[in-house]
Amino acid sequence: MFDIQQLSKIYSTGSVKVVALDSVSFTVPDGAMLAITGRSGSGKSTLLRQMGLLDRPTTGRVVFDGKEVTSLPEGERAKLRLKALGYIFQEYALLGELTAHQNVYLPGMMLNSTGNYRERAAELLELVGLGARTSHYPKELSGGEQQRVAIARALINTPRVLLADEPCANLDTVSSRMVMETLVRLNRELKVTIAFVSHDPDDRKYAGRTITLSDGKIVAGEDLPA
Amino acid sequence: MTRSFKVAGLLAFTSVTRGNMGVILLTVLILTLVSLNLLFIPSLLKGLVSGANERLRNTYSGDIIITSGTEQDMISNAAELVSKIEAIDGVTAVAPRNSLGAQLTSGNERTTAIVYGVQPDREKQVFTIYKSIIEGSYLSPGDKDQIMLGVQVAGADKPDLELYTRSLQTVHAGDDVTVTYANGVKKQYRVKGIFYTEFIQTDLQAFVAQDEFQTVLPLSQDQAASIHVKVKSDADIPRIMQEISGIRSGLKILRWEDYAGIVRSLTDSFNVINAIMNVVNLLIAGITVFIVTYIDVANRRRQIGIQRAIGITPGSITLAYLFRALFYAGAGVILAGLLFAFLVTPVEARYPFHFPFGAVYLVSGAQDFAHMSLIVLGVSLVASFLPVRGMMRMKIMDAIWG
Repeated sequence: MFDIQQLSKIYSTGSVKVVALDSVSFTVPDGAMLAITGRSGSGKSTLLRQMGLLDRPTTGRVVFDGKEVTSLPEGERAKLRLKALGYIFQEYALLGELTAHQNVYLPGMMLNSTGNYRERAAELLELVGLGARTSHYPKELSGGEQQRVAIARALINTPRVLLADEPCANLDTVSSRMVMETLVRLNRELKVTIAFVSHDPDDRKYAGRTITLSDGKIVAGEDLPA
Repeated sequence: MTRSFKVAGLLAFTSVTRGNMGVILLTVLILTLVSLNLLFIPSLLKGLVSGANERLRNTYSGDIIITSGTEQDMISNAAELVSKIEAIDGVTAVAPRNSLGAQLTSGNERTTAIVYGVQPDREKQVFTIYKSIIEGSYLSPGDKDQIMLGVQVAGADKPDLELYTRSLQTVHAGDDVTVTYANGVKKQYRVKGIFYTEFIQTDLQAFVAQDEFQTVLPLSQDQAASIHVKVKSDADIPRIMQEISGIRSGLKILRWEDYAGIVRSLTDSFNVINAIMNVVNLLIAGITVFIVTYIDVANRRRQIGIQRAIGITPGSITLAYLFRALFYAGAGVILAGLLFAFLVTPVEARYPFHFPFGAVYLVSGAQDFAHMSLIVLGVSLVASFLPVRGMMRMKIMDAIWG
């Protein structure tokens, strides 16, 4: 599915250069549940953004389904994001003027205006336990509920990969567990490949595989029982 | 394409319905006022021009004016020429006139005017001056020792008149005035009527019946200084002019437009003012939409980044902003149209503006409304597109995380 090859990302601020990723290479097979862990500033989110095609690496390649996607024009990357990738942000990133239902079906509408994206959005909200909150606006939902709306939104176009950037960072313990269990269920039941970033070592238990970053390099990679 | 329109429609709709109502109302109000102004000034100008031209034709020139085209000042055998012109298809009436400059005095006041010798019955068929009598009555064919004065000559105790101070000021119907013609003849006349057409050039004239005029200028018998022709509204004026020139050579034949130079300088100035105001108005409209969109885009930078990150195309996001600008402009244009049609125009019709060419009524049609609408909508689209375009060039990462 994903083949990350010698990926580096260097941010330049004037004469200061910050190496966020340093020649990172690994693969993510189809149907995997991958945890990317590490301390704050280790490059986890930077790595996920390269995989989610939200940013371009300084050097190296991201190969998705056998196709090099790093150098694709922005329009092609946008299509790929819409069709094949679901991205969950740390801060929920819902659109405040849209209801939960509208937030979920908006990308579906973008992909296929004549499809049943409204029904599917309702089903997905049901799936994440928010069937009764479809007409609520984000500010009327708790943090955990907003994050679950974001998960539903990421799933609307039936992506093959779900990328989650610290999905539980702003949530309490109960909400965190609920969100993580939702991701696990999606991975097991819908066979969605999932890569999530977490700074909490305990979250490794949800993943089938973990890589740990430090100063932009992979310092540990292990296969853990799911 | 349909998808982009649907997504853009949803984003635009929610941003308007869930947006800051105060900002929306203020934006629509400004665009309404701008649109209203864009309708009002051209309508006033049109009203001024059409009103002035109408008065020119109905009280001063007629549709076709014939004068002598030779060294002779007068057209001879006028009666024969008049009857031949009347026989031309499309001609409804013909009125010959004679004229002589004169000084008029009343008490200590004096003024000058052209005194016309006219055939009252024919005059009534070509001109509408008889409808503008404010004192006394119109001339009759056999009137002797009687004169009809324009209000700018008589004054009629109307100090608000444009030329009151150079008029006889206090002369009314029934008063006597002394007229000293340019040929030296001096006559005492009783003022039979005073007319007020609101067209200054006409209101500066004085009229006596042709029979009376012949006593002043005996040579004027069967002669005319000018012949004024009224034609049917759908008549082919160039053809009629051609036929008149075929009746007799040595005539100078003019259309009423050739006399419109009187109002042209005024309307030219108004056109310049109108153009300047239109540019200012459009700048206000454009800057308003630009600022509203710019602030909105700046405040929603992260939201726009998220929209792009979840796969909404830049085209759809841009389209959403254009839709919103169309909503603002459309609401402004519609409100302005309604206000103009149901408030401004009726009120102005009741309390019209007064210009030297008479009362001016707003003249506006669907074409003017469409023209204004297209301009406001176009400016709004461009003004909203510019800030959004800048945001769409920003990297997603920068838009979301700065």
